[in-house]
Amino acid sequence: MDQSEDHQLVARVVSAQDTAAFGELIRRHQSHVRNFLRKLTGDYAVADDLAQDCFLHAWDKLDTFSGSGSFIGWLLKVAYTTFLQAKRKSKRYAEILEQAGHATDTESAGQEARPDEVTDLDRFLAVLTEEERAIMVMSYACGLSHREIGEATSLPVGTVKSVIFRGKEKIRTSFDIKDHQHG
Amino acid sequence: MTSKIINMADKMKDAEDRLLESLFESAPIADDGFSVRVVRKIRRRLWLRRLALPVAVAVGGAFAIKPLAALVTLVVGLSGLLPQEALLSASHFLPKLQYIVLGAMLLGAGLLGLGALED
Repeated sequence: MDQSEDHQLVARVVSAQDTAAFGELIRRHQSHVRNFLRKLTGDYAVADDLAQDCFLHAWDKLDTFSGSGSFIGWLLKVAYTTFLQAKRKSKRYAEILEQAGHATDTESAGQEARPDEVTDLDRFLAVLTEEERAIMVMSYACGLSHREIGEATSLPVGTVKSVIFRGKEKIRTSFDIKDHQHG
Repeated sequence: MTSKIINMADKMKDAEDRLLESLFESAPIADDGFSVRVVRKIRRRLWLRRLALPVAVAVGGAFAIKPLAALVTLVVGLSGLLPQEALLSASHFLPKLQYIVLGAMLLGAGLLGLGALED
């Protein structure tokens, strides 16, 4: 996706409150944001509601986007903050995450969800903490660089690298990757 | 020997990363009116924000009209205590009440019109 086009659209939104330009930004990035939130929450409807909130927050805060990094990196930061705020506010999240088989930080990892709905990815994500999950999704699903993930999560690049390493280690020890590779 | 080990480690790491990438990979989500819904919400919020000030002024004005009228009556009553010459010279410079009301109405209409044009 062309970053300069993103930056031009952002400039139009900030200078003239151009809702059409913002609509174009949403069209360009909604898939990544919704995918990120779907993997984080494990619930499509909740993720889409959060994605709406995320874009509304992005509209309000767009003038804080410095333009030094990628727009999608900044947007995922807003999405992650929106997710954390919503989670803090709502107890329902714990129930939803539990139902979807995603263990919360305070609960034991690896809780089983209904077998017919659990994919390999769900099983992998279930052994990770929330932070590890967010960082792994940003890295492997959204293709963000370590620097971009650092900006999105407000963590130093070194910490991002070690979280990814730890996440991979957990997946490796919890599942037999080689077996999985060969079916 | 050492380089062979490093190369093997790199290859293993790459394979693992590729595997994870393939696991995390998912088909792009179709917009299906998502962006339209969000933009509609934003426009509604903008419209409400623009409407909030005139409505607040109107409501505030409705509440303030009675005490304001009492204040005007008081000021008019007090004006009897002032020397007539001073009053005459002051009224010469002050605009008449109907002009003030008309000006305020035009300003309000202008602001609303500008808001509507922006939408």
